[in-house]
Amino acid sequence: MQDMAVEGGKREAQASEKAERTRQRKAYLPDVDIIERKDDIVIMADMPGVDETSVSVTLEKNVLSINGKVDFDPPKEHRLAAHEYGVGDYERSFTLSSEIDRDRIQASVKNGMLRLVLPKAAAARPRTIQVIAEA
Amino acid sequence: MALKDIIHFGDKSLPVKRDEDDPFSLLRRRMDDMFEGFLHGFDLRPLDSRSGIFRPSIDVVETDKDIRISAELPGMEEKDIDVSLGKDSLTIKGEKKEEKEDKGKGYYRMERSYGSFSRVIPLPTEIDQDKVKATFKKGVLTVELPKTEKAIKETKKIDVKSY
Repeated sequence: MQDMAVEGGKREAQASEKAERTRQRKAYLPDVDIIERKDDIVIMADMPGVDETSVSVTLEKNVLSINGKVDFDPPKEHRLAAHEYGVGDYERSFTLSSEIDRDRIQASVKNGMLRLVLPKAAAARPRTIQVIAEA
Repeated sequence: MALKDIIHFGDKSLPVKRDEDDPFSLLRRRMDDMFEGFLHGFDLRPLDSRSGIFRPSIDVVETDKDIRISAELPGMEEKDIDVSLGKDSLTIKGEKKEEKEDKGKGYYRMERSYGSFSRVIPLPTEIDQDKVKATFKKGVLTVELPKTEKAIKETKKIDVKSY
């Protein structure tokens, strides 16, 4: 947690050295849960303010990046009376291992939560080998 | 001349200078400690948000005519959110449920938090109760609370004069 500034419970994403941001906006690291199930791995990311038109998921080589843009237009002539969270974009990347079936990755957004289902490749799935009694 | 004569290998009688004795290394250590504490100090999230209990963040914006309260409730459904208006406060209640289907599976990372919450936001002025609107979109709850005519009129601007 040393390299992240925290504002209102959100962690700000640090711009990577390779890519600079094109928008003059803050970007946050969405909080994620990563769960392994029998046949897949599920990533759930909290990205309030994002819908299916403003989120993008890209897979480049073995890096899966999620990027969400939040549009925010505050009323003119307003003052902030209480400020607990900052509004900004979201970005986060994950490195996938080779056991993920890259062609069948699914992404869905509902109520500001992005859900990614990463199916395991057939070779990586656990298998039970049936034991038969020798005659 | 033997090497042993130049460098005293394992010579127990040789006084070993400890770090503590050297004022410069002591200063350096203190500085390191200070920086470490400083960097860790950035984790300023409220305690309950770190321990995994859901506590939504709220922004309150005030204009001359209304007050707008927004809360980040990602992954929640409208039906799980309860907004009630009191005489001089607004209460947002709800429960963020953990998805049952995923329970008991292997967690790699668990950063999101769940649980019930209740937040009471005091309202500074009189609100036109009939015109309050609440919308829930993309995981963000927005409550618009228009001020009453009376409250708008009563706001007096005081001129600051210079001598």
